Amino acid sequence: MRTLLYTLIARLREYVRPAAGEADFDHELEMHLAMAEEDKVRRGMSREEARREARLELGGVTQLREAARAARGLPWLDTFWLDAKLGGRMLRKSWGLTLVGGLAMAITIGLGASIFNIWDTFAGTRLPLDEGDRVVAIQPFDRAAQRFYSTTPLADFIRWRETLTSVEQVSAMRSIDRTVLTRDGAIGPVRAAEMTASAFQLARVQPLLGRTLIDQDARIGAEPVAVIGYQLWQSAFSSDPAVLGQRIQIADTPHIIVGVMPDQFRFPMNQRLWIPLRAEPIGDAGSATDVFVFARLAPGATRASAQSELATVGMLPRAAVRQTAASLDARVVPYAAGFFPEVHANSWAGSLIFLLGALFLIPPCANIAILVYARTVTRREEFAARTALGASRGRIVMQVFVELLVLAAGAGIVGFLLARQFSGRLSQIVMPMLRPENLPFWMDFTPSLFTILCAAGLSVLAAAIAGGVPAFHATGRWRRSGFGALGSRGSGARLGKTWVALLATQVALTLAILPPAAEMIWGIFRPTIIGPGLPVEQFLTASLLMEGDTSRFNVLTSEAVRQLMSETGITGVTLSAAKLMEEPAARIEVEGRPASDDDARFNLVDDQFFRVFGARFLAGRTFDARDFRPGSTPLIVNRSFVTEILGDGNGLGRRVRYGRVEDSTPLQPPPGWNEIIGVVEDFPGSNDGPMMFHPMTMPTHDVSLTIHAASGVGSAADRLRAVAARLDPQLRVGRLRSLEEMYWQRRSLDHTFGFVLGSVVVIVVLFSMAGMYTLMAFIVAQRWREIGVRSALGAQPRRLLGGIFGRAVVPLTIGAFVGCALALRLHSWLPIAEAGGRSIPGIVPLSAVLMVLAGLLAVAGPARRAIRIDPTEALRVT
Amino acid sequence: MAESRSAILQGTLDLMVLKTLEQMGPLHGYGIARRIEQVGEQALVVNQGTIYLCLVRLVQKRWISARWGTSDNNRKARFYAITKAGRAQLKAETENWERISGVIGRVLQPGN
Repeated sequence: MRTLLYTLIARLREYVRPAAGEADFDHELEMHLAMAEEDKVRRGMSREEARREARLELGGVTQLREAARAARGLPWLDTFWLDAKLGGRMLRKSWGLTLVGGLAMAITIGLGASIFNIWDTFAGTRLPLDEGDRVVAIQPFDRAAQRFYSTTPLADFIRWRETLTSVEQVSAMRSIDRTVLTRDGAIGPVRAAEMTASAFQLARVQPLLGRTLIDQDARIGAEPVAVIGYQLWQSAFSSDPAVLGQRIQIADTPHIIVGVMPDQFRFPMNQRLWIPLRAEPIGDAGSATDVFVFARLAPGATRASAQSELATVGMLPRAAVRQTAASLDARVVPYAAGFFPEVHANSWAGSLIFLLGALFLIPPCANIAILVYARTVTRREEFAARTALGASRGRIVMQVFVELLVLAAGAGIVGFLLARQFSGRLSQIVMPMLRPENLPFWMDFTPSLFTILCAAGLSVLAAAIAGGVPAFHATGRWRRSGFGALGSRGSGARLGKTWVALLATQVALTLAILPPAAEMIWGIFRPTIIGPGLPVEQFLTASLLMEGDTSRFNVLTSEAVRQLMSETGITGVTLSAAKLMEEPAARIEVEGRPASDDDARFNLVDDQFFRVFGARFLAGRTFDARDFRPGSTPLIVNRSFVTEILGDGNGLGRRVRYGRVEDSTPLQPPPGWNEIIGVVEDFPGSNDGPMMFHPMTMPTHDVSLTIHAASGVGSAADRLRAVAARLDPQLRVGRLRSLEEMYWQRRSLDHTFGFVLGSVVVIVVLFSMAGMYTLMAFIVAQRWREIGVRSALGAQPRRLLGGIFGRAVVPLTIGAFVGCALALRLHSWLPIAEAGGRSIPGIVPLSAVLMVLAGLLAVAGPARRAIRIDPTEALRVT
Repeated sequence: MAESRSAILQGTLDLMVLKTLEQMGPLHGYGIARRIEQVGEQALVVNQGTIYLCLVRLVQKRWISARWGTSDNNRKARFYAITKAGRAQLKAETENWERISGVIGRVLQPGN
């Protein structure tokens, strides 16, 4: 390896400065000849004979110089550069191919790189910690349901901490949102971590001030302490260097600040405040706590070896801990995957995305390949000349490949820029929705080196498909018929069965993706076209939360609602646990049906909720007073719930309960079975899928409030603030936003996705047409003379047209039939409705008709050219 | 005579050049060529030009080093010397050669 590196360095050096090496070599050869000549003269030869003998023994000087030049520099780079220059010139000449092919490649590569970038961002392959790749999470895995749980019973954590040796600094944390009170007032809620002290050692980040947590802080009876984040230090303590030792009240308990962490430190996920986690075996209460467990691989250990050890240690019997699944075992997973189990469960996704990107490349590249094949065939005289001059088949294939590589490289750069643009746009949309403070500390949508490599890999692949394959195919034909025949006209260049099959496949694939894509696009843009269905601009949403003593919160919010209702212009006020469009999702189980992977979002609402939003009931009734009594378990679902999950009937009387809900879920659904008493039409906030509503009783310290103000939301916001201030200064109003703003923000992400999907579909269809056009244009060009002769012999244009269209009908018909079958299969297999698509009646036959029409339209041009062939002109060509 | 001379086996020229430099110390290209011919007792066909290509390769690999000096007959010549890495390579290559030639010798022994 080292020798190879030295050789490369030496060759590079001589490539940059070739003159010195060449002069040295020439001088050496001259000296050699002179010494050999003198030697031979000394041995009795004449000078003339000695010179001749010396030259013979040395060999051809010119060949030696050439060989030395090749051995010293990087000759393949010269060849590559020459091919690239030639390729650039050819692409300029065939500007149509360059433009169409380049654009298609750029969009496809950009799309592949974008998807890869999103996956890479969530997968957290770039964990910004010292040796971040050695930090792992340890999680329960439900073998029956094939899913991970992010949290583990504390008892298992304690056992792992004491027994595992292949991982060190085994740590645990619970993420909590807590209101924080400082001497200057309340802040909150703040995302905090109850965490073991070892987690700070694991992160290897030193505090900015003071110290991190230590094990003694977690002992029973220890004084409560806290470490605060940089942002909290800045905002709540004005970056006071004397903050250490000051007290803050977290929830109801005063804590002494012992440290301040540096800016950007938001470990383990997105926390800004850290308090000790009591991780001692303290009986049932302690064992019932679920925690997120993470660790660092010990020196020399690998994830596989840690997994082997963990498998022998296992988890505690289920009876001792709070788990519902019976088939859990523990797994060591990459750290970021611990927070996004779906990413880990699909760890092959990175490769799959690359593969998908490669598959996406096939349709556009196949068309470019046809164009390149046709062009390669028309360049046969050029290649014949090159073959006569000694170029091998490989050399010619390489030349065409490099030509296309120039195009693909340009497309790759544009594609990467598109991906960067898309990532920027995505983060602009996603960040405000997710709120940056909620995003994991490692999440950054800026394209990484991996994304660049992905774009580069796709570019090379595109060049290989579009350039290498057709060149190989064309030169193969010539090799079989003899390269010598290349120069003669009419040498056997045909678009054979391979290309016809390729076109049929392309038509089939295009047709297969058209119906689901059309339904997805319709699903995405339909709400934009028909509107949200209610005057979203008249709704204002806000959070009401209480600091300090929260015992009066319920009374105060009821009073706030009453006072707001008495204001002029306000026609409705409703309370709910979660804001619209921010409802959490949970796994559910429907009575009488086998367990499945159904998820639904849920919310707890008051009795005015459906009236304020003007929701239309499709069946059953809304909540009334009896539903809010303790022990009552009524449930109202939306239309999507009935159609997507229940599938049949109106759902009334069916019972639903929740599966295991992560502790980190901000809202806990009611336990036990809930009976459906009403079905409501989808409306904003619930039109993204199945939705479940439960009656909300007694909010404790925070609640979401929605005001319907026909007069406009601006004045409603002022009135809400005034009412809250009047009732109690501790009653805070936060996150004021109009429903309109929330609605369109959510839609803008859909729009971006819709436009990307739409662009892909249009490109794929256009390329199918281009492929068909190329095939026909090539056939007409190849049969120019034959058509001319037939025309001269009196063939009717109708018959000529029939012949041309007949050639197109074969791939079109095969493609249409196979495509229809594929489309129907895909249609039943893909969860289009769940993904937000909307059914379009008769979409499969409609797509088939459109595809055939598009194909025939593409053939019209070459067919017209065929019937206009002048017989005398065609016969003159020899 | 020409028919009784053998061509150098592919890949063995590097080994011969390294061995020559190890035995003889720093030498110029012509000196290396002469030495190999002498040791080969005119039984080997050595295309002297290929020795220079071999020297280029060995310098790139840092198995030998090169410096300009003056020859015995007062000519400016490029002298090559084996390096530490070259000696290690020579040792490895020699062992390999002995192993292979031993096996071939055994295979070709009469009676086998």
